[in-house]
Amino acid sequence: MAEVSLRHIEKVYPNTEKKKKGEKKSNLKVTEEGVLAVQDFNLDIKDREFVVLVGPSGCGKSTTLRMVAGLEEITRGELYIDGKLMNDAAPKDRDIAMVFQSYALYPHMTVRGNMEYPLKLKKMPKEEMNQRVEQAAEILGITQYLDRKPKALSGGQRQRVAIGRAIVREPKVLLMDEPLSNLDAKLRNQMRAEIIKLRERIDTTFIYVTHDQTEAMTLGDRIVIMKDGVIQQVGTPQEVFDHPANLFVAGFIGVPQMNFYDAELIRDGSGSYTVQVENVHIVPSEEKQARLRQNGVESQSITLGVRPEHITLLGEGENMLHGAVEVTEMMGSAVHLHVNFGGRDTIIIAQTMSLEGRNPVHFGGGNPISFTFGGNVIHMFSKKDERNLEA
Amino acid sequence: MKEKTRRINRLWSVVMFFVSVLYMYPIFMVLMNSLKVESAISTSTAFELPTAETFAGFANYENAINAQGFLSSFFYTAFITITSVLAILFFCSMFAWYITRVETKVTKALYLLCAFSMVVPFQMVMFTLSSMADTLNLDTPWVLWVIYLGFGAGLAVFMFCGFMRSVPVDIEEASMIDGSSPLQTYFHIVIPLLRPTMVSVAILEAMWIWNDYLLPTLILDINKYRTISMLIQFFRGSYGRVEMGPMMACIMLAILPIIIVYLVGQKHIIKGVVAGAVKG
Ligand SMILES: Nc1ncnc2c1ncn2[C@@H]1O[C@H](COP(=O)(O)OP(=O)(O)OP(=O)(O)O)[C@@H](O)[C@H]1O
Ligand SMILES: [Mg+2]
Repeated sequence: MAEVSLRHIEKVYPNTEKKKKGEKKSNLKVTEEGVLAVQDFNLDIKDREFVVLVGPSGCGKSTTLRMVAGLEEITRGELYIDGKLMNDAAPKDRDIAMVFQSYALYPHMTVRGNMEYPLKLKKMPKEEMNQRVEQAAEILGITQYLDRKPKALSGGQRQRVAIGRAIVREPKVLLMDEPLSNLDAKLRNQMRAEIIKLRERIDTTFIYVTHDQTEAMTLGDRIVIMKDGVIQQVGTPQEVFDHPANLFVAGFIGVPQMNFYDAELIRDGSGSYTVQVENVHIVPSEEKQARLRQNGVESQSITLGVRPEHITLLGEGENMLHGAVEVTEMMGSAVHLHVNFGGRDTIIIAQTMSLEGRNPVHFGGGNPISFTFGGNVIHMFSKKDERNLEA
Repeated sequence: MKEKTRRINRLWSVVMFFVSVLYMYPIFMVLMNSLKVESAISTSTAFELPTAETFAGFANYENAINAQGFLSSFFYTAFITITSVLAILFFCSMFAWYITRVETKVTKALYLLCAFSMVVPFQMVMFTLSSMADTLNLDTPWVLWVIYLGFGAGLAVFMFCGFMRSVPVDIEEASMIDGSSPLQTYFHIVIPLLRPTMVSVAILEAMWIWNDYLLPTLILDINKYRTISMLIQFFRGSYGRVEMGPMMACIMLAILPIIIVYLVGQKHIIKGVVAGAVKG
């Protein structure tokens, strides 16, 4: 257990291959030095905290994690583990453990051999070593496989062994790089629950990398959302869900994705705001009004965001948005409606059951539909820099 | 469809059977003649099986083994082969590990140099080599492995690099994080991973070194040290007559160890190929 501090950490990959520039796959900043894979990364991780780094592919999550592990050189900035500067320490001197996406088990050793290996290197007495390995195996439910080779195990079992190898050492910090992404959906959910349980049982700081927002939301005490090597937002799952810092975070967190509309934010003489979408006027909640006022936001064109679960379906009426149902996806407890609204796809979640019984939802393709949303669930983003106007 | 592939497979088996007979026949001839009495081996009778009259039992083998210098030749050959193969395995695997994991211009150049060395014919360098070996006192069986290391490195590095590239670097990184130094990673992780390739390399290099005739002839002092392949030459040597029977027996004895090595190692080669093909 330990605190981990990253101060102005940056990673530059030298621009060796010219081809890479031409491809222009990502929007990483390119300077004289090379490609900036991670830019000015600042984060203080508390003792025993579970921090999740999340973001789309190529955003620099793995690079950041590998810099903490010591597998990748830190170009600039300082890394402190437990208050000690660790920039130039070898991986083995950092007292960290890591679980790799590919498991990275030693194929020629048995499960027991794999788990003993870090302890053997520490020259731990045989007694204690056995005890620790058996305890870890017990926690992870792999006791009966201890004498098997990794190739005789299933993916989920291998993953447990990899985690076991990491926890036997009782490291200060446990790093995990997409540990569940090679598992099938069912096993992934199960392992996710086990990681949550595991974390109660061991005293370690966790840094967990994933590209899956569900994993991030369910596991993390705090989530760090990254894009193109830059931190977009740091916060608890609830914070990033309720108050996304910008358009990217709003779109990235939450499934199905948040709906976006072009809208106008209007500030009247008395300083109260209204949002106009098409010909419908929505009044933001008092809370939101206050924050907008505090930030001195002017009238402007905005991108309005509303989550699918916050849209209300209504019959015909005043002050409504109108669209046509294109596709319906039956999810069991809810129906996801893909509605064509002003040429764009809007997703609406309609519950199939309510207190009164089965909801009368029969949405065929092409049917017209009316919907609206309250002033407390809207998110307003600047068109100019995509920032949340309330933030 | 299935019927067709089955028929093609059967055809292949027949073809391959004849090819293998073609390959085996010379060895069979040597074996056959090594069991005949001297007078029954001539150009006209070489293809005949031994009969009750011409069958010599193991007399030729006894003669070969008792011949001047056979045991010491056997020992020298074994010593040279074992030391050279061990040196090649150790140095080349470590070298290949380094140049595949540390990618710089220098390591790339070194790799190309190794690949290039495979296409340089030995005849091109043999005279300068033998005079250099003389100057450096490398002309004894005890240090001949230095020269074989040089000539064997090309193939070995090429094969090790090829395999090393297919090994995910994660495993080595995991070992670094688990607390090993680079050397510990090499001995605990890399060597076991490379084992199937090591067996293949060892067999190929051993066959070549054991059977090699030209290099030891040029470099070793013929009067002091003779390897097996040099010794065989001496059965038809200076006495004016060729002792065909003992020579054939000697050839059989010379190829026996390497065949055993191959048969023992063979299943590891096959296992290595399969393990590389299947993930995990
Ligand atoms: N050795 C390297 N040389 C040059 N560029 C690199 C190197 N390694 C990574 N990069 C670049 O750095 C960026 C960040 O890579 P990183 O592996 O951290 O992404 P990631 O967020 O982990 O993505 P993923 O979810 O796909 O694993 C990528 O755009 C990648 O192209
Ligand atoms: Mg990654």
